Amino acid sequence: MTALARAQPDRVPWMENDFEEGLQVRIMGTRDYTPGDLCRRLGMDAFGYHYPSGGAAVAGQLLQSKEDMKSQYYYPTRITFDFVPPWIAEMGTDSDTGRTYIKKGLLVSEEALSLFDTFLPDPHHPARYERVQGWIAKYKEDFAVFARIRFGVASAIESMGLETISYAIYDNPGLVKCVVERFASWSAAVVEHLNQMDFDFYWVNDDIADNHGPWFSPQVFREFFLPYMRQVARVMKKPWIYHSDGNLMPLMEDLLTLGMAGVHPIQPAAMEIGEVKRQYGHRVCLVGNIDLDYILTRASPEEVEANVRDTIRVAGPGGGYIISSANSLTDYCQVKNVLAFSRAVAKYGRYPLVGHEAGDDGQVSEYRGER
Amino acid sequence: MDLAAELKEAIIAGSADRARELTRKALEAGVPGEEVVNDWMMGAMNEVGKRFERGEAFIPELLIAARALRHSLELLRPEGGGPGVTFVGRVVIGTVKGDLHDIGKNLVAMMLQGAGFIVTDLGIDVPPEKFVEVVKEQQPHLVGMSALLTTTMLNMRSTIEALERSGLRDAVKVMVGGAPVTDQFAREIGADGYAENAFAAVSLARRLVGVG
Repeated sequence: MTALARAQPDRVPWMENDFEEGLQVRIMGTRDYTPGDLCRRLGMDAFGYHYPSGGAAVAGQLLQSKEDMKSQYYYPTRITFDFVPPWIAEMGTDSDTGRTYIKKGLLVSEEALSLFDTFLPDPHHPARYERVQGWIAKYKEDFAVFARIRFGVASAIESMGLETISYAIYDNPGLVKCVVERFASWSAAVVEHLNQMDFDFYWVNDDIADNHGPWFSPQVFREFFLPYMRQVARVMKKPWIYHSDGNLMPLMEDLLTLGMAGVHPIQPAAMEIGEVKRQYGHRVCLVGNIDLDYILTRASPEEVEANVRDTIRVAGPGGGYIISSANSLTDYCQVKNVLAFSRAVAKYGRYPLVGHEAGDDGQVSEYRGER
Repeated sequence: MDLAAELKEAIIAGSADRARELTRKALEAGVPGEEVVNDWMMGAMNEVGKRFERGEAFIPELLIAARALRHSLELLRPEGGGPGVTFVGRVVIGTVKGDLHDIGKNLVAMMLQGAGFIVTDLGIDVPPEKFVEVVKEQQPHLVGMSALLTTTMLNMRSTIEALERSGLRDAVKVMVGGAPVTDQFAREIGADGYAENAFAAVSLARRLVGVG
């Protein structure tokens, strides 16, 4: 939490937005462990994703019949800290991995708006809050616990489909705003309840960009999405991290008006973390940047160590940096590389960082070599 | 403003009805269909692509321009009463086996349709044998493959090898794209080209079928 407040803690914290259960189990060698056990095994500082707890791992969000989905939402059978709205979309399941995916968004017209009433759970239903609060009390120990939520932008994009929402921005702007507002209102109602629980922070997952840049112009972003994101941000009473893949630089000034404490994942293929630190490190905590395309999936453990070391040296000075993968720890990360990641964070992440002194202005100084 | 410039502006602005009307006027005025398509319309898409690369146009602007283009191209098809220009080529496109991402692939498919290609979209998680099956059936000019993961992009090589084993490799051009894919990787696996984004994919596709 010190790092999120852009101060310098005793060491660079490590946490992950998601950590797929298959990888968890391969690392732990068993399905019988607590969130704290996993954090201790790797030296992580926070948790907020799914754990097996005896249930079958199913990645992603699944929209089944309205009864099944709402029941699953109100009474989750495996440990979770998520409070995200369902995709209002036709879903598929990959037969090999069990991973779910969106086939087609269903919110394609005014008539389809009735699907909100059909499929969106009641944000005031007490069951999920009670169950999750029980898990927080049981598993928190000394770790930070986060709730994953959405503003509603990603929900709107996926539930309408990128093609439909793109045309609608020009053909039927009212429909787009209605859809985004419905999801945002749902999330805002959820947050009012989460504020009363023992979460330490929120992680808001709302993808709006890819490696090239934002999917929408700043003008479209300000008209169609930002006001509704602000609707949710305004009611958050705990610190929060904003997650979107891709290059966010063209929208960063607008995004920062929302008041996030941290930005994630600073994908190395899309954003250069040194430049982000220089421009925005005094305004927001940086979270992420350990590459998923190669480092955690195909590199050698030695390369992982070097990458972690170099990233800490660039982003860590002065604090305000939380190390994390540049998206999540997925099933296709190599166990040996995740363990190398863990060892490297322990080796290089203690303040004062070797070879660096953070200036009083928190500016990154160049690595000058070990003293 | 002359007709060519007006049509270009209408396509860039995504004014589908206006673009169609201007296309009709051009054809009625005797402008050859090939010129309308290859110079006027592709000129508009080139401009949209440049704006996209400069960060001045974004996905919605690409899509409404492609939609306006597609709307106008209908007039040049024989069934639209046109002179029979516009069929550029057939493309089979898909996200490779093991990969469930489709945003980029969908964008490429839409842009290719807008540019006059007939596109068969195989969806996501497409195994090499499915690509081979459809190539045998449809005899496309192009195969397009997308991947978002460094683990799954290796299936692009598998698909090309499957086409080789089936004796189909020389009958199609293969283009690849996706976040982890590079021009070097494309060359290593024996693809005919790599496109960095949806607009570049259209340029590449046109070049590979010999019209660009």
